[in-house]
Amino acid sequence: MNELPEKSDPLEQLLDRTLRPLPLRRAPPALQSRVLEELQRRAVLPWWRRSFAHWPSAARAGFVLVCLVLVGVVFLGGGWAAAAVQSLHASGALSPSSARQALAIMTVAAELATLFARAVPSAWIYAGLGAGAVLYAALFGLGAAAYRTLYLSPAKGR
Amino acid sequence: MRAYQDMVFSTAARLTGNESCAEDIAQDAFVKAYENFSHLRSSPTAGGWLKTVTTNLALNYLTRHRKRWRLLSEFNAPTEDDAQPELQFPLPDTLLADLDQEQRRSVIDQALKRLPDHQRVPLVLYHFEELSYEEIAARLHVSLAKVKTDIRRARMALLPMLESRGIAP
Repeated sequence: MNELPEKSDPLEQLLDRTLRPLPLRRAPPALQSRVLEELQRRAVLPWWRRSFAHWPSAARAGFVLVCLVLVGVVFLGGGWAAAAVQSLHASGALSPSSARQALAIMTVAAELATLFARAVPSAWIYAGLGAGAVLYAALFGLGAAAYRTLYLSPAKGR
Repeated sequence: MRAYQDMVFSTAARLTGNESCAEDIAQDAFVKAYENFSHLRSSPTAGGWLKTVTTNLALNYLTRHRKRWRLLSEFNAPTEDDAQPELQFPLPDTLLADLDQEQRRSVIDQALKRLPDHQRVPLVLYHFEELSYEEIAARLHVSLAKVKTDIRRARMALLPMLESRGIAP
């Protein structure tokens, strides 16, 4: 690689002299009206159609709360569903075989989740997440390499 | 807005090489400026802020919308020969000297459009936005050597385009 000092490059100096004093391009006359129209369009949008940063504080807090509740429901939902199936079974609304199957599936899932949460050290979970990220990156890299090797290289001819 | 619209549009147009995209980017930049109007109203650096926002929006646009895979591979691909090309002919002292400023701008903008993204973007950042090689490498997430090589190649590609307009001294 040529390690000439940057400012001693005559081509750089020539293009510097040519490009830097160039006048600015004139913006299209419609730009200003476009911006004003966009601002007006955004101004009349109801708050829930704006970006999250522009929601009222109460709405943002409520949204976060709802998300937390949903996460809790997802984690605890197995137990609630099992209890619901049991009560349905007890009331005779479910056939015995369907109830048995549903209960078995839910019991296994709940026990597996409990076992997983208790038995797996948190370091393993972080390591698993890290491994997942590495695998994702490796897959992305393989895809990019395949794209460049199989698609770009033959056509490039440089 | 009137004071800055040419600067914002020029920055976006030179980086993207596309007027309609530049108009969209300029619109987004001014909408962002409006959202931050309370901070910018009394700021002496409002122009710099707008320029930075426009540059970021244009780079985001190039990364997101324009041939994402190709852009990534071009920006990151190891070059076939990293040695910088050498000039094989003497350089003129000036370029486009017999044109007025507006004609010169038009010729140069047309030539810039013909450069591939991975050469035009670092060249524009260096010569128009006056970023250093190191800053460009950091902004584009590529190596310093790659930036230098791409800019050098862009200059080498630009030179004959400008001379071939029949305006060389």
